Amino acid sequence: MHTTPILSEVLERSALRREERRGFLRMAGGAAAAVGGMSLLAACGNDNNGTTPTPTPAPTPTPTPTGAINDGDVLNFALNLEYLEAQFYSFAVFGTGLASTMLDGVGTQGSVTGGRKVTFTDPVVAAYAREIAGDEIAHVAFLRAALGNAKVAMPAINIDGGATGAFTVAARAAKVVGATGTFDPYASDENFLLGAFIFEDVGVTAYKGASPLLTNKTYLEAAAGILAAEAYHAGLVRTVLYAKGMTTPALRTNAGLISDARDSLDGSTDDDQGITSTDTTQSNIVPTDNDGIAYSRSTGAVLNIVYLNNASVSMGGFFPAGVNGAIRTSAAN
Amino acid sequence: MTDTDLLIETMDNRVRRRNDRRDMFKMVLGAAAVGAGAFAFASPAAAQTVTDADVLNFALNLEYLEANFYSYAVFGTPIDLALTTGSVGTFGTATGGRKVTFTDPVVAQYAKEIANDEIAHVKFLRAALASAAVAQPRIDVGIDPNGAFSSAARAAGLIGATTAASPTFFDPYANDINFLLGAFIFEDVGVTAYKGASPLIANKAYLEAAAGILAVEAYHASIVRTVLYAKGVDTRAAATKISDARDSLDGGTDLDQGLGDATTSNIVPLDSNGLAYSRTTGQVLNIVYLTKAAVSAGGFFPNGLNGSIKTSTQQA
Repeated sequence: MHTTPILSEVLERSALRREERRGFLRMAGGAAAAVGGMSLLAACGNDNNGTTPTPTPAPTPTPTPTGAINDGDVLNFALNLEYLEAQFYSFAVFGTGLASTMLDGVGTQGSVTGGRKVTFTDPVVAAYAREIAGDEIAHVAFLRAALGNAKVAMPAINIDGGATGAFTVAARAAKVVGATGTFDPYASDENFLLGAFIFEDVGVTAYKGASPLLTNKTYLEAAAGILAAEAYHAGLVRTVLYAKGMTTPALRTNAGLISDARDSLDGSTDDDQGITSTDTTQSNIVPTDNDGIAYSRSTGAVLNIVYLNNASVSMGGFFPAGVNGAIRTSAAN
Repeated sequence: MTDTDLLIETMDNRVRRRNDRRDMFKMVLGAAAVGAGAFAFASPAAAQTVTDADVLNFALNLEYLEANFYSYAVFGTPIDLALTTGSVGTFGTATGGRKVTFTDPVVAQYAKEIANDEIAHVKFLRAALASAAVAQPRIDVGIDPNGAFSSAARAAGLIGATTAASPTFFDPYANDINFLLGAFIFEDVGVTAYKGASPLIANKAYLEAAAGILAVEAYHASIVRTVLYAKGVDTRAAATKISDARDSLDGGTDLDQGLGDATTSNIVPLDSNGLAYSRTTGQVLNIVYLTKAAVSAGGFFPNGLNGSIKTSTQQA
């Protein structure tokens, strides 16, 4: 983030807390005009995970039809993904996770398994990592503020790079490493970029797929803003992987393998692309369909990828106890 | 904004004020012929509700501009004439571009990829709009000292004042860096335009498609910003000047950011919540018309956009 010089984690955290409050006020003000205030969202928050939402004096709580999802559900789904991204980048850059004040909420709060500071060798990659970490932490703060009392807690997250870690499971499935190999995204600049690559395009397709589900225009425009940020991140990671692939071709190959693995997890539709075109002398930084449009993923398809499972399950992979909130089941593929 | 940005802005302010005045005079003179008529046309239109077709046609105008710039740069020609026709609005040609002789093969690949994406966007929007699609308006992507790219670069302080004796111009086709700076002028604007338009679209299918184009513009912007950042101090400074110029054209709100410095990159232009910025259609037109005034033609669109959304916003 441009406005937050990364001097130390402490400084950044206090800045974020300030921004969180400011963001909350701005959001509450905007939402009040549009939908009658935060209480509606709080009242309609998730209620499918056995916890009792904080009672809110909503003037007229709108009953939610069974099976229907509301804006709060969609934003909470996004918040789970932002917890994952923010923890990964925060550990990679700072060696520690999100502040404890940024983890509470509805549902079962979990802890983070794995994650450690990367010793970057390329200062430009280090700068990019700091920037993305700041952005993802801001997304967590923003969504938590927007959701108010309806926000879900951070679920258990596995970002471990060891033999039993989720990254290794993903890398084995993608054949980036062998059946008994390990993949540690904190071991080098290159591994960090590939680790980041696993998430970023998924974030883009998730926000795009969710865009028609949002009814409130204020939230829609905010979500479009996060979608854009994720696409900038994905473009950055893909561009750097491609450029480094000039001298380290394995980076391009491995990005393609990860893309293929995502594609095989989320169903038969081809909605993912590596960073090299079918014409191998041509880049493919931007994954698009024939209309030049980015792909969408349903929430179920997104969960297939982060649960690392093509079956209909409610936990696994990067979320060992599942995500929190109403949207938590992957698709059966 | 960082301290560095503030410093640069302070240093550039005198130049910019001078350029603003000059651009203003130029715009006033240029707009005089169409001004009265356009205003009479725009007023009743503004009273009507903006339809999805209006919004998509607004986007189509911007895609015509981007597609032609990249098509010239990569293929040496404007986009296929068959992709420019329409019964709505006045057709115009896209002139002045030429093929770039790229030296960095990776930049050449990125350029080709972006060109094909932008042409695909033109095709997609035309197909979605069908008979309601606007024709391509007149587009200036040339290098004339008084053309759009030169005016934009001059407003940003990248080139000095031009005179008949010693003309100055900006040629985005001259080399890799100039091409990237030319691309930089557009890409972030596309992101903010699609984001700003997102709440205006009623149809969910169009909304999701627009979100998909928004994402692609952000990927493009990221490629351009990442490469410019990696190319070093001078290109970072130049890009930041262009960002400042955009910011000065589109009103008092800070909606734009440069690339940061050696220790702190700023590839992604975001607010304090980590969200990309929005621009109104009027603010987008301030930038592509290269004016702070409320006009309906100028800059990259010498005869204005086609469609019902065509007037820039009067900025203080």
